[in-house]
Amino acid sequence: MSRLLSVEGLTTRFPLAGVHVPIVDESTFAIDRGEVLALVGESGCGKSMTALSIMRLVPKPGRIHSGRVELLGRDLLGLSVTEMRAVRGGRISMIFQEPMTSLNPVMRCGDQVVEAIRLHDEVSRKDALARCRELFVQVGIPDPDARLRAYPHQLSGGLKQRVMIAMALSTRPELLIADEPTTALDVTIQAQILRQLLELRREIGMSILLITHDLGIVNELADRVAVMYAGRIIEQGERTDVLGRALHPYTQGLLRSMPALATPGRRLPEIPGVVPSPAEWPMGCRFATRCQLAEDRCRREVPGATARSDNHVASCHAVEEGRAQAPAGGEPEGAAR
Amino acid sequence: MSTNASGPLLRVERLRTWFPINRGLMRRAVGHVQAVTDVHLSVEAGRTLALVGESGCGKTTVGRSILRLEQAQAGRVIFDGVDLLELDAAAMRPYRQRLQIVFQDPLASLNPRMRVRDIVAEGMRSFGIGSDESDRTDRVAHLFERVQLDAAQMWRYPHEFSGGQRQRICIARALAVDPQLIICDEAVSALDVSIQAQILNLLRELQDELGLAYLFITHDLGVVRYLAHDVAVMYLGQIVESGPTAQIFESPSHPYTQGLLQAVPSVDPQRRGGAPPLSGDVPSPSAPPGGCYFHTRCPLVMDRCRSEPPPVASQGAVSARCFLAPGSGSE
Ligand SMILES: Nc1ncnc2c1ncn2[C@@H]1O[C@H](COP(=O)(O)OP(=O)(O)OP(=O)(O)O)[C@@H](O)[C@H]1O
Ligand SMILES: Nc1ncnc2c1ncn2[C@@H]1O[C@H](COP(=O)(O)OP(=O)(O)OP(=O)(O)O)[C@@H](O)[C@H]1O
Ligand code: SF4
Ligand SMILES: [Mg+2]
Ligand SMILES: [Mg+2]
Repeated sequence: MSRLLSVEGLTTRFPLAGVHVPIVDESTFAIDRGEVLALVGESGCGKSMTALSIMRLVPKPGRIHSGRVELLGRDLLGLSVTEMRAVRGGRISMIFQEPMTSLNPVMRCGDQVVEAIRLHDEVSRKDALARCRELFVQVGIPDPDARLRAYPHQLSGGLKQRVMIAMALSTRPELLIADEPTTALDVTIQAQILRQLLELRREIGMSILLITHDLGIVNELADRVAVMYAGRIIEQGERTDVLGRALHPYTQGLLRSMPALATPGRRLPEIPGVVPSPAEWPMGCRFATRCQLAEDRCRREVPGATARSDNHVASCHAVEEGRAQAPAGGEPEGAAR
Repeated sequence: MSTNASGPLLRVERLRTWFPINRGLMRRAVGHVQAVTDVHLSVEAGRTLALVGESGCGKTTVGRSILRLEQAQAGRVIFDGVDLLELDAAAMRPYRQRLQIVFQDPLASLNPRMRVRDIVAEGMRSFGIGSDESDRTDRVAHLFERVQLDAAQMWRYPHEFSGGQRQRICIARALAVDPQLIICDEAVSALDVSIQAQILNLLRELQDELGLAYLFITHDLGVVRYLAHDVAVMYLGQIVESGPTAQIFESPSHPYTQGLLQAVPSVDPQRRGGAPPLSGDVPSPSAPPGGCYFHTRCPLVMDRCRSEPPPVASQGAVSARCFLAPGSGSE
């Protein structure tokens, strides 16, 4: 498969309390054509900011500090504002995490999608509207004609999310960045949309950067998984490796705290402690304040990536030194239904 | 219904909330979005009822109607013995403290021009909680710690937080006024599992300590199974099945509940591509189909389902609105 996107050493900083804090710190990953990469991790760890950096939509006062974001060999960070605008919504489109923030409240839903289509394709209004209606049906919006005329506030959370998905797919992008695309949807509609995404990937070779905290969805959709903690990618690999044989103590803790695997009435296993806020990130491994395996070296030195196989790496001293716990994963006792 | 002598803390009966569809120059109502048509539920003090169902089936509208943020056309909302739908604004006021809601869209429910400290302290001030501002600041700091936010960040504005952090600010705001019942509308849906675990454990602790009750609106069935004592499953404005969580997960009676449970993606890396999703048209809430509302998607549909609305059949603690449900007399 050929490489579509490659992100290298991407660093995005925000001034916080007078210091420039790397909210996204030296992120490196790649996505091939037709591939689905899932980006998972703690709330606040920088997933959305990674996506916004790729789109060059980092909100002020944040700034991309360094790194490369190559789409088909072309560095997006070097493009002019106009060139970048053409890429956005054309080759790359994004489903934003909070649908209300990206839908225009005073414009009818249908008009918004039609406008998005016509911004990138020279089609008549009538054709754009027909395409829009078809998309509404594909993402499972009941009564599509009425919804074309509805304003965003008249729609439920999940309907707004589906309008967003329709809008993002309307230009048949090569890369879809989907930030928590199905959080507001019940599982039956979610299943329908996930199938739709896989369909498009088969049909037009669309690649997906999928941001989600739902490991069930990761398992359904992803080819590879990258796990982020406090601004850094700390583990990366094939889906079956990361979910089934996780190496990093954080990933292992994440998999253990899934409610789907817990016994009702019993306390959920937690990762002890609090995620440090960006201004207080420890200097060595950022997970060291919460890690049961942390030793002095962890608190001093940033762990480098240790490869367990060509396709599975983790940044952890314990993994490197061979004192990590046995790989843990979602091997379920009665978990799968 | 409960046989508890003091009755449940919250009981909703025959609730109906429809939105008019206005068209034309005169903005005449040409129909209704039948968001909530016939909803019954009850939540006991110290317990959790999960409300689950299809996106757009009316869950949020139920929550908002209970708090009178949406005007219900019919039904009763009895909280601690008083029908809230009968109260005027002044009489309603104390209930705005006793019942709290965590809204589904956190960004939209946080005033962008207020610091989050003030957002969380606002309710305390208006209900006279805390001796003065600095006491309230201490309380906000304490709440921040409980929801795993860094108290030093309380002087920031909502847009400076991530999606999941904003969700926790909303939870802190609800907890700030010592409510008896919290309606949590997708309150943990934006949280990754490790923070979700901490928040769910916190909600359970508060329930044990203070006897808090939750109406937990969610589509995450893993969370439901873990947290809720009882479940009500909603489809197109109606409750189609309700009962104790363990029983419903063990043997769902309604075909929609069955479809819902089968669609949960597995976390077992050795399996994927589970059962095919429910097919068929998702009907419109402004023109629900005749007969059973679910018949357009039901894999077990029979002729009579298309013309005749099924009665609510009860067996033991479980009720289901389906001809095939145990206790319907026609299975
Ligand atoms: N405008 C801003 N100014 C300062 N800090 C910000 C701003 N926006 C986000 N942050 C901080 O950047 C960090 C990363 O945020 P981001 O939105 O990328 O998190 P996330 O991984 O997407 O989390 P979630 O799963 O909760 O959505 C957070 O700690 C957040 O507080
Ligand atoms: N203000 C309104 N005006 C008109 N229709 C509305 C309004 N608010 C909600 N609706 C409609 O009522 C129905 C129920 O909406 P509601 O928000 O209660 O659904 P929900 O079950 O919470 O869905 P979700 O899981 O997607 O949040 C939907 O069809 C929605 O479009
Ligand atoms: S590097 Fe050390 S602190 Fe970090 S995860 Fe590995 S063992 Fe834990
Ligand atoms: Mg985010
Ligand atoms: Mg809702």
